[in-house]
Amino acid sequence: MSAFGPTAAALVVAASVGATFLWRGIGVILARRLDTKGAVFRWFSFASFAVLAGLLSRLLILPTGDLATIGLEVRLGAAVVGVAAFYLSRRNLLVGVASGTLSFALAAGALG
Amino acid sequence: MTAMKPQDFKGGLRAGIRSALGLPTLVLVGSMTGYGALAHDTGFGAGLAVLSTILIWGLPGQIVMAEMYAAGADILAIAIAVGMANMRFFPMAVSLMPTLSGGGILARLAQAQLMSATSWAYVMRSTAPETPSARLGFHTGFAGQCMTVAAIATMVGYLGAAGLPKPLALALLFINACFLLLLLLDTKGRGAAFAVVTGVVAGIPINMYLPDTGLIVTGIVGGTVGFLADATGRSAAS
Repeated sequence: MSAFGPTAAALVVAASVGATFLWRGIGVILARRLDTKGAVFRWFSFASFAVLAGLLSRLLILPTGDLATIGLEVRLGAAVVGVAAFYLSRRNLLVGVASGTLSFALAAGALG
Repeated sequence: MTAMKPQDFKGGLRAGIRSALGLPTLVLVGSMTGYGALAHDTGFGAGLAVLSTILIWGLPGQIVMAEMYAAGADILAIAIAVGMANMRFFPMAVSLMPTLSGGGILARLAQAQLMSATSWAYVMRSTAPETPSARLGFHTGFAGQCMTVAAIATMVGYLGAAGLPKPLALALLFINACFLLLLLLDTKGRGAAFAVVTGVVAGIPINMYLPDTGLIVTGIVGGTVGFLADATGRSAAS
């Protein structure tokens, strides 16, 4: 086995790279003549926020793979701990992320 | 910090590297170590694991790829699923590129490749530089620093995969969701707030029924709600 693993794995990564770069490239081309004060640009900014929010729903509530083996109550509970710590620490991102992740690890360890 | 915002490329570059050195670096060390371990268990080679982080540069898509490959899915099915998971880069590139100063098509494609959810969100924050050339420097420094850290962390996670206890490995995959949650809570402005809340709430049923195209449908619905909320806010204010 080389540093890249089986050929099939390398092909899968190459295909995934192409499928991802496609969207970045289309975005760059469409953005070329866009006015940052215009309505189209504003709509795309809000759509980006919404897509990231949808991604969050997917990660927290509808995960696939290994994360799905941990119950919904643990995932949501850890998220609530993170949010609470974030606001209690006057919006300190580090405190929020650390508290949420640590409580997730502890709960996953205790229940798993 | 009360210092003036950087105005030129160099100042932006320094500010970008500095902001990436804190929490984003920590989150990337955690989450990409988790991905490295996953890539190892999936049967990728170490070089391929690192390359996939740099060239795909979107963790949810990378996880989808690794898990589907491990499950023995067809290459076309994997490419489509990864493409769907990473479709977000399209609206993100459209809304990021016009705020960075010009350059040729290759330079713009390079910025689009460097872009991640985190780099996008940090450039959109009110603390980011405002002039287009300083923003270009900021994004280059921030994302370049992030990508370097992520590549190293992927390798470390790959090499240390066997020694990683399961709850910790899972927590490393969770760290990314927690970070994204807090970044979105921190967004300012009526339109963005409406877009985020709509995206989270509507995103649940939409992604349940449309597992493939759900994210982009969520973007269209939430983006339109945010746009309308922003427009009504503007007309009420004027």
